[in-house]
Amino acid sequence: MALNVKVPSLRLALMRLIWRIDERLLLIVFAAIVGGGAGLAAVILNRLLFDIHEALKPAHFHWYAFILPACGAGLSALFLGYIMKEGAGHGVPEVIYSVCKRGGLLRLRSSFSRLISSTLTIASGGSAGPEAPVVMSGASIGSNIARAFSLNDRQRTTMVGCGAAGAISAIFNAPIAGIIFSVEVILGEWTPINLIPIGIASVVGTEVSRLLQGNLIPFSHRQFHASLLDILASVGIAVLAGLSSVFFTRLLNGTIRKSHQLVAPDWLRAALGGTCVGLLGLAFPSVLGKGYDVVSTIIENHYQSGLVLVALATLAKIMATSLTIGTGGSGGIFAPCLVIGSLGGLAYQRGLVACWPAVPWAEEGFFAMLGMAGVMSGTLQAPLTGIFLIVEVTGSYQVVLPLILVSFVSATLCHHLQPVSFYYGELVSQGHLLRPRTDARLLSDLNILELIEKDCVVIYEDMRLRDMIPIIEQASRDCFPVENSKTGDFLGLIHLNDLRPYLFNPGLHDAVIMGEMMDVNVPRVSPFDHMKDVLELMDQTHLWSLPVVRRDKFMGMVSKGTILDRYRKELIVQTH
Amino acid sequence: MKPQLLHIFRNTPFGRETLLESCYFCRTIEVELVAYLPKMSKFLMYFENDVVQVDLDSSFLSSPDTAKEHATSIIRASGLEPLFFDPEDFTASTLPDIPTHFDYMCCPRSIVDLSSKIGLGYIGPRVRRIVQSARFPVYIPNPVFKEWKSLAVLFGGSANAVKALRLAMRLSRLSGYPLKVFTQLEGDSRQDYDRVIKENGLEEAVEDWTIFETGRLKANLYEVPHDALVILGAYGHGLIRQLAFGSKMELIQTVLPNSLLIVGPHCAL
Repeated sequence: MALNVKVPSLRLALMRLIWRIDERLLLIVFAAIVGGGAGLAAVILNRLLFDIHEALKPAHFHWYAFILPACGAGLSALFLGYIMKEGAGHGVPEVIYSVCKRGGLLRLRSSFSRLISSTLTIASGGSAGPEAPVVMSGASIGSNIARAFSLNDRQRTTMVGCGAAGAISAIFNAPIAGIIFSVEVILGEWTPINLIPIGIASVVGTEVSRLLQGNLIPFSHRQFHASLLDILASVGIAVLAGLSSVFFTRLLNGTIRKSHQLVAPDWLRAALGGTCVGLLGLAFPSVLGKGYDVVSTIIENHYQSGLVLVALATLAKIMATSLTIGTGGSGGIFAPCLVIGSLGGLAYQRGLVACWPAVPWAEEGFFAMLGMAGVMSGTLQAPLTGIFLIVEVTGSYQVVLPLILVSFVSATLCHHLQPVSFYYGELVSQGHLLRPRTDARLLSDLNILELIEKDCVVIYEDMRLRDMIPIIEQASRDCFPVENSKTGDFLGLIHLNDLRPYLFNPGLHDAVIMGEMMDVNVPRVSPFDHMKDVLELMDQTHLWSLPVVRRDKFMGMVSKGTILDRYRKELIVQTH
Repeated sequence: MKPQLLHIFRNTPFGRETLLESCYFCRTIEVELVAYLPKMSKFLMYFENDVVQVDLDSSFLSSPDTAKEHATSIIRASGLEPLFFDPEDFTASTLPDIPTHFDYMCCPRSIVDLSSKIGLGYIGPRVRRIVQSARFPVYIPNPVFKEWKSLAVLFGGSANAVKALRLAMRLSRLSGYPLKVFTQLEGDSRQDYDRVIKENGLEEAVEDWTIFETGRLKANLYEVPHDALVILGAYGHGLIRQLAFGSKMELIQTVLPNSLLIVGPHCAL
């Protein structure tokens, strides 16, 4: 046993140095590191996907090919459940939950677990995208770097945003989309203190990806020329994309619900889903994998199938993705949204041509792009992400006007029909979507235990009014909690107003007993109640303060005035 | 409000012993016992700057139909009121969050690995992480229930050891049990320790203070009473020193079979 109070540790010295640096500069430095890590994760995932897909290619031509997605999904669920001990899914809601409720804390294992599990799912033919797992990975890298350097909650949350931005930027080679996705979907707030580090992370993530795998654009650049008629027709694709997004979201949620009712191990459930995907893949091979090749073919106007088959392939892709992710496979919905959108756009264009063959409609690729933006904006309910991602991955800035139109119409329609996006569904149902500076977030940060006012004078039920007079003279409050003199249990409240008629009649001072005067039906709250519920109770009962009672024992009062005071202070902290 | 101890209940004979230990601890120092009956094999604990996933071994989930009944009867028989904790927040549908606002937490030496591994000298990695991150002291009970009748603080002079000594003083007052302090001189002189005690105003706590000036710590630990609750600080040194020389707490727990109450570096008393 040795004294250690004399020598500050190296870690402490490092912490002190970090805190001396200007906060913005500090965040920029860490953002660059996080962006680099996220970019590296994206490159590793891309490489793994490519290599395993190539290795499995010969097997796709055999009769047993339909089993491959089952094997991949089953192995992925086994890996996540038994080796990493994590739940299935793509992880984006978990990242948002950590940002909203846990100051951006994420487990270290999440930085690589989804990379491996999604590789197994997608490379074997499962219908899912690699973007959400890499977002989870990048966010976890950001969170753990922030944790290692003891950054505070707000800075850690920014680092989570940096990780997400770096990941999306690197995997799509789309830095602006990465920034927009991070602030629109993950963080839900645009502030200069967030935006600058996120921008830096995005640039570094993209550069790492370009350095290691070249400046590749996922889909070929093409020049599209849209007439006014095409822009008008884009309203139709917006509605179609919106409806497809709603159908996709509902089918996905429904599959998750139904599959969890199956009493079977996770790996078996995922394997069953994978088998169904494999069978769908026999009829529509375009539904397998992440599907970027299908999107490329459509944008280049080389997709051969006719209108009916394209429409069926769209439906099959929606089903395949729902089965893959809904039954426990690992992967995201970004890439499937692109495939569904492009197939939907192609079907729409072919429908237009079939109905009005004389009109010189824009190329198939143009409508495919609009479909991609529409489905992505609708499903994620993040129109800006949809617009910027499509512009960047296709390099088609000249179609930005119809893209904006389609994205906003689709997102609005989806919001009307399905108010909560797939990412937020579970969080909203549990009351966990607490965006910064919103009423719900501020209230969730207030704790009754910190707001209890203990300056109440407790009286007993068998006291007479005469005993109360000196208490009233000295009390600063106009209500008095009443307890049982033997057990100490809380019985009710007496308000000064209830006593006033008897106070000035000395003849009643010995006749009035507190037990008869108290309000026994006064609503009470527990110290662990949510502040939102407490305020609702105050509003319903038109009361300004309520007693806090735990296991029949009075702890103090909580009042609207104190809550408002703390609410303001909290608001100042969050907006600073 | 009374302080609370969180106990993760394991519905096995081993779990019964640790629950009995927790009940005795709570009764002795007037703490409420909050039992969590796990329904899922893992949970998360979000600390101030860390998140710890605890993957419970299968014995924690055995016989769920009798778990509540068993826990209730043990707690009632100890003269405490049974309080059960139901998680409200979930990071994922199968991953409940366990709050970290408790005042104490009872952890067996391991809550991840199979109980066959649990023995002297083995502290599971998750328990270590909890000790390192928690704002509450962690109670590591005996594998078999044994009442403790005194308190022993192993005082090494570090900031954490000072916190442990303060906690021991409080527990001694609450329980009425005597407090003994043990120190192994390693490089520093007795005056150095006296100075730390004086600076922190802990003179009252060291009335019964045994200082080992010779011999190795491992051998000297024999002097610690067999029926004492041992309270000690842990992981108070920097990362590099810890990597180079190891943790004193880790050494002590390999030798002492007593119940331990460990005060980690982030413990707020």
